[in-house]
Amino acid sequence: MFAYLVNLATLVCINAILAITLNFIMGYAGIFSLAHAVFFGVGAYVAAFIALQWTDSLLLQLLAAMIVAGLISAALALPALRVRGDYFVAASLGFQVLAATVFSEWKSVTGGIGGLVGVPPASIGGHAFGDPVEFLGLAAVTLALVVVLTTAIVRSSLGRSLKAIRDSESAALAFGKNVALIKTLSVFYSASICAVAGVLYADYLGFINVESFTIDASTLFMAMVIVGGIGTVWGPIVGAVLLTLLPAALTYLPFLPRTEIGSVQQMIYGFAMVLLMIFKPDGLMGVKRGEA
Amino acid sequence: MLLLQLIINGIQVGALYGLTAVGFSLIFGATKIFHFAHGASFAISAYVFYYLYAVLLVWWPISILAACIVVVVFGIALDRYVYGPIQSTDGSFFTIFVGSFGVAVVIQNLIGTIFGRGFISVPSALSKSVELVPGLYVAPTAGIAVVAAVTCFVALQLFLSKTNIGIALRALSESPGLVRTFGLNPRAVSTCAFALGSVLVVPAAVLTSMTSGLNAAIGGRVMLISVAATIVGGVGSLRGAACAGLLLGIAENLALWRFDPQWSEAVTFLILFAFIVLRPSGFFGRVVTS
Repeated sequence: MFAYLVNLATLVCINAILAITLNFIMGYAGIFSLAHAVFFGVGAYVAAFIALQWTDSLLLQLLAAMIVAGLISAALALPALRVRGDYFVAASLGFQVLAATVFSEWKSVTGGIGGLVGVPPASIGGHAFGDPVEFLGLAAVTLALVVVLTTAIVRSSLGRSLKAIRDSESAALAFGKNVALIKTLSVFYSASICAVAGVLYADYLGFINVESFTIDASTLFMAMVIVGGIGTVWGPIVGAVLLTLLPAALTYLPFLPRTEIGSVQQMIYGFAMVLLMIFKPDGLMGVKRGEA
Repeated sequence: MLLLQLIINGIQVGALYGLTAVGFSLIFGATKIFHFAHGASFAISAYVFYYLYAVLLVWWPISILAACIVVVVFGIALDRYVYGPIQSTDGSFFTIFVGSFGVAVVIQNLIGTIFGRGFISVPSALSKSVELVPGLYVAPTAGIAVVAAVTCFVALQLFLSKTNIGIALRALSESPGLVRTFGLNPRAVSTCAFALGSVLVVPAAVLTSMTSGLNAAIGGRVMLISVAATIVGGVGSLRGAACAGLLLGIAENLALWRFDPQWSEAVTFLILFAFIVLRPSGFFGRVVTS
């Protein structure tokens, strides 16, 4: 039971990092990406590949994953600079589909559909994080760092510029903000921190395959942000906790066949998204627009 | 000969993509609702047809009619009970998108739970290929697809230009305020747009169930193609959406000449990406309802 709870808590931490970084571009930059799982996957594959080929050093893996994900984020920043809203969602959806194909087809690096197996536990300075409780500590510390860093950025001048762009791009431009640079930087930040979650995920499970990085995953991350409350500090964390614990809670319903838990979970959050949009579009932790 | 074969396959697929995209474009043009659940409409009508025709062995015109009725009811219900309430409080793109997306997620999983997640297809003599010239195989469904697409498109154009409701629909896409001034109810016109746009997926849904088959996730694919065709064709242009759908279908099939089938969606995406970066207004610029 204790091991089970530690496992859940670790997954909550990883998902919370994902939700926070997605909320960073959705809530503050107004970029609604359905491709967040791509960067999660890039981080995980880079970490697993490095761990299997060269070294189990966590810091090296993190650095490499952040750089690779950051570079790939240009593919998302480019359409984000050209179009807004609906069009961008479509572009990011297409990007997600393309990336999932690459993950499952580029067999020499990603191991194809079967994925990469037997990723050794990561280590810092020779100390390997093999014990689940230690790994939970690592994940929790990382989460705390991400929360502090993201909140600091949101409250800095960059964060205020982002909100200005979200609310009115032309007004921000008129005030002399470099809209293109600010948007590119925010996508870069979001993608590279998202990759950190991917590194933790790969090192924690020791096994990854494309199923964790498909459109379903992107949808789940978006649902976390929306259910919790977009554009708030605590919203994504609350959303991540709720939606990570949901499948675990569903297993306690005896009449539900195990194979259907995944789709029942998706139905619940799909339905929750519809109801929230009708009755409380700002999410559970939401505040009225304009105060945030 | 392989190239010609791929082009013919592409035209068959593209005609159906075009028709589905026109439905999406019609709804978006008239109501400004980015109807992400359009793919769900497609999946619903396809599975209704499959269940009646292939499982219950109902006569085919009745099966198609039932698919039409169900999909129209679904479209109108969405407009009334999901988009309507959202628009009356907060009409921002984001809330509508999330609501619509939530519906698509629910429908996809409902279908997966009821019918299973594997591939199913409707057995039909129409999808058996005949060798027209040596080395060139064409199934009757290809002809039916093209005829159905052209008929529906011409009928839709006539409807939009000749009837009062059609003119009201075009007026709504130009200026909802003015529609109200002239004593028409924008909500009623919007309901009509959803009914029309939804029923346009039926020919494609029925023919797809006979040719390439269905699975629970097909809605997402259809959604991506419809959105891509709408953007590539130029938002608000029905003619653009139809042409872009055809283009995407042909491009997807031509890609098979050099690449494995799993890359076909990547081709769609690359075309969409190129248009978004190089020409965000699409083929037909900012023409509102052609």
